[in-house]
Amino acid sequence: MKTKKIIIGILVLGILSAFVAYKMYNKPHVNVGEASADISISAEKILGDFSADEMTANLKYLEKIIEVKGVISELNIEKQKGIITLKTTDDFGSVLCHLSEEATKKMSVFQVGEIITVKGICTGYLMDVILIKSEIIN
Amino acid sequence: MLFLLSLKLLIKIELTMKLLITIFCCFLFVTMCNSQERYLTKSGAINFFSKTAMEDITADNSQVLSIVDASSGKMAISILMKSFLFKKALMQEHFNENYVESDKYPKATFKGDILNFDAVNETASMLKVKGILTIHGVSKEIIIEANFTKTNDAILVVGEFLINLADFEVEIPAVVAKNIAKNIKVTFNFNHTPYKK
Repeated sequence: MKTKKIIIGILVLGILSAFVAYKMYNKPHVNVGEASADISISAEKILGDFSADEMTANLKYLEKIIEVKGVISELNIEKQKGIITLKTTDDFGSVLCHLSEEATKKMSVFQVGEIITVKGICTGYLMDVILIKSEIIN
Repeated sequence: MLFLLSLKLLIKIELTMKLLITIFCCFLFVTMCNSQERYLTKSGAINFFSKTAMEDITADNSQVLSIVDASSGKMAISILMKSFLFKKALMQEHFNENYVESDKYPKATFKGDILNFDAVNETASMLKVKGILTIHGVSKEIIIEANFTKTNDAILVVGEFLINLADFEVEIPAVVAKNIAKNIKVTFNFNHTPYKK
């Protein structure tokens, strides 16, 4: 009787831990659309921060959900994915927002020169500050 | 006599000025040509693929910055490690936090020379690119073979190569060693367009 209880106990524990492990293994990606932004900022300011001190900016912005507001300077579609470029006063840099598939469908209503707010995950700074999985806020 | 001499001098000065202006114009023209010789993409694609008996793992990055200088045949590539997207969020987390340590080393870079770049034209040609690849803070000289195609308004570079994880001091814990290949296949596709600003 006692051994039976122990066996059942171990079994239950085993199933439970397997379930937790499975859940963890299949943990979903961050849903940018539903998550609230960690930081709200202008395109000018975020590029300025990165070009002034990339190390510090990396610590502050990387992997965070950032809401960026700026003026559209370019609208592109590459491989069915939309890319919105936000203008800054910097000669070379801008903010590149790579859109999600759903946001790409909404892109057509926007035009160069319009003000837009985009929310995405910041992955770093090359020539431009890069946001991925971006969603259009307005 | 004095008048003649000063006239001669004037003509001489004028000629030198003309020469200087011509040289200046030539110089300007050359620099203008040079500035048009840069080709760039901000949305190059890189995929890596690890194949083992246990599982196949793949990740895509489509925010790669790649620059080709057509006048010198040099090439420079910058990659953000956090831009690699995996199917499973947990794999992406492990990749960034444990394997490539992307907080410490946020970028991978490649700088190199395209050997025999003058041979590039409209028909695809296989060329070697020799340069330094830096991943995970470790730099290593490598030679990569790639297919180059040059048209009037684009340079297309497509290819693949293998990287050995141990070469770049990427440590894989024993528990998952069977799930991750020792050599990772890297595929790239860069469509460079003339850089204008």
